[in-house]
Amino acid sequence: MNIALLTSEIAVVILALLIIVFDLLMPRQEARRSLGYFAVCGLLGILVYTFNQHGASATVYHGFFVVDKFALFFKQLFIVATILTLLFSFDYIEGLTHNTGEFYALLLLSLVGMMVMASANDLLTVFVGLELMTIIFYILVGFDLRSSKSSEAGTKYLILGSAASAVLLYGMSWVYGFTGSIVLSEIAAHITASPAMLLGLGLMLAGFCFKMSIVPFHMWAPDVYEGAPIPVTAMLAMASKAAGVAVLLRVFLVAFADLQAYWLTIVSLLAGLSMIVGIIVAIWQTNTKRMLAYSSIAQAGYILSGLLAADAAGVKGMLFYAVLYMVANVGAFAVTTAVNNQYGSDKIDDLSGLSQKSPFLAVVMTVSLLSMAGLPPMAGFVGKMYIFMAITDKGYFWIAMLGLVMSMVSVYYYMLVVKVMYSKEAKNQQEFTASVSLRIVALISLIATLFIGIYPGPLAELANAAARSLW
Amino acid sequence: MLLDFGNVGMLLLVALVFPLLALGTAFFIRPRPRQHGIEKSLPYECGVDTVGETWVQFRASYFLYALVFVAFDIETVFLYLWAIKFQELGKFAFIEMFIFLNILLVGLGYAWKKGALEWK
Repeated sequence: MNIALLTSEIAVVILALLIIVFDLLMPRQEARRSLGYFAVCGLLGILVYTFNQHGASATVYHGFFVVDKFALFFKQLFIVATILTLLFSFDYIEGLTHNTGEFYALLLLSLVGMMVMASANDLLTVFVGLELMTIIFYILVGFDLRSSKSSEAGTKYLILGSAASAVLLYGMSWVYGFTGSIVLSEIAAHITASPAMLLGLGLMLAGFCFKMSIVPFHMWAPDVYEGAPIPVTAMLAMASKAAGVAVLLRVFLVAFADLQAYWLTIVSLLAGLSMIVGIIVAIWQTNTKRMLAYSSIAQAGYILSGLLAADAAGVKGMLFYAVLYMVANVGAFAVTTAVNNQYGSDKIDDLSGLSQKSPFLAVVMTVSLLSMAGLPPMAGFVGKMYIFMAITDKGYFWIAMLGLVMSMVSVYYYMLVVKVMYSKEAKNQQEFTASVSLRIVALISLIATLFIGIYPGPLAELANAAARSLW
Repeated sequence: MLLDFGNVGMLLLVALVFPLLALGTAFFIRPRPRQHGIEKSLPYECGVDTVGETWVQFRASYFLYALVFVAFDIETVFLYLWAIKFQELGKFAFIEMFIFLNILLVGLGYAWKKGALEWK
């Protein structure tokens, strides 16, 4: 048994425990920002360490836990997302509560859940990782105790999330009952297209789609995204969704690959619906977080459509898209946080005049939104191109066309936000301040979005290697 | 193939019929309040009538105690399994359990220090 494969997960747990202990030892009135920096430094160290595991492809615990390029790719994505989220959230969280140490520790523990999900090679480990992540998100979503919206969002997420977990687990029980195994490769060996099996598959798909907020299972997303503290919304949108994609890919491409004929049609409908509903409804939103929630539903549809190719090219597109979506979202949420720190609300109107007050942040927001819309010099264009090329090869031309048309429509509502920032006068003449760490995150997002858009080669190479390790 | 469909269909049927059956039986055999007067239809037929508002709020402290208790309750259950297999597992399991207990202790320490165990 090679326990060393678990090093990065163990390290994150130790980091979280250290933060809890330091939080206890520090005097009550002392600011907890040092703990945040400590978490960031620790995660940076772990990120560097994960590069050491590259090339490895091994399992531990009787094949329940696998470390391969695919798992590593997602783990690095989660770690980077957490680091960036931590960096832009210091001011916001300190304005929210005195228990900031707790917040950092919880965020790290949810990261462990995601990392376990990325490595899970059997249904139970998938479920344990998923629950570890989700239960901590229930707490984090309701973290703003003074805001009734936040508590409402937490309760909603708890009830709906538990129901979705139950559906997922019920599906798993059918699959286990009819194949006699929970390990993905064994399931693939014993799979038959019996109705019970398809029922299990359908229920599991519903459970995963809930986590990714794919359209008929998206109802929770706008309310929860709006009520949750902004850094938590950012993590929900980027990392939690990517974790859902990771398990969905592994389960459906390893275990259920032989049943493709059955699930491809359903997946194409779900992806198409998500694009349409996410983009159409987003047009009427007046709250930045709610708008980003609907946009994230549409983006999830784009990511999911890559699964239609069911080959390495499609998965590569999905992985690539997950990264650039994370990068663009970090920028958008960082700017939202800065504006919220200033005005205390998340209305799109609050962005007015941002181009005069803080031209840099306005540019970051514009680039992030246009990247999500998929305009050429930005990364979003390349990501959409990879996915659409892969699925047109397999004959899903209509989804690619739908995606293109919908991106055109999405440009409209993203431009509405840009218009507010550039053409409206600022509400007041207060000086606009944003912390250095937030500006650094915004800069990283800006550079990464443009860099990936202009020179996608290296990332595409990485995504390709990760995608191939699934087969 | 058809038999499999039948199995799933059977389960769905039972799942649908069972609650209906239970509710229906209760409907038919329940005492009719009109025949026996209003007393019979009270939630607590032979209890003491409540005084004042019944939607009272309980202290959250109970909940915190219960939460800490459950964590250590589960830990004890886990310890039994560990103790049975301890001879086979050896030193590795000993260290592992030590780490596990310490993680729980950190949690208890955190709850204690943050005042969760204080009865204010």
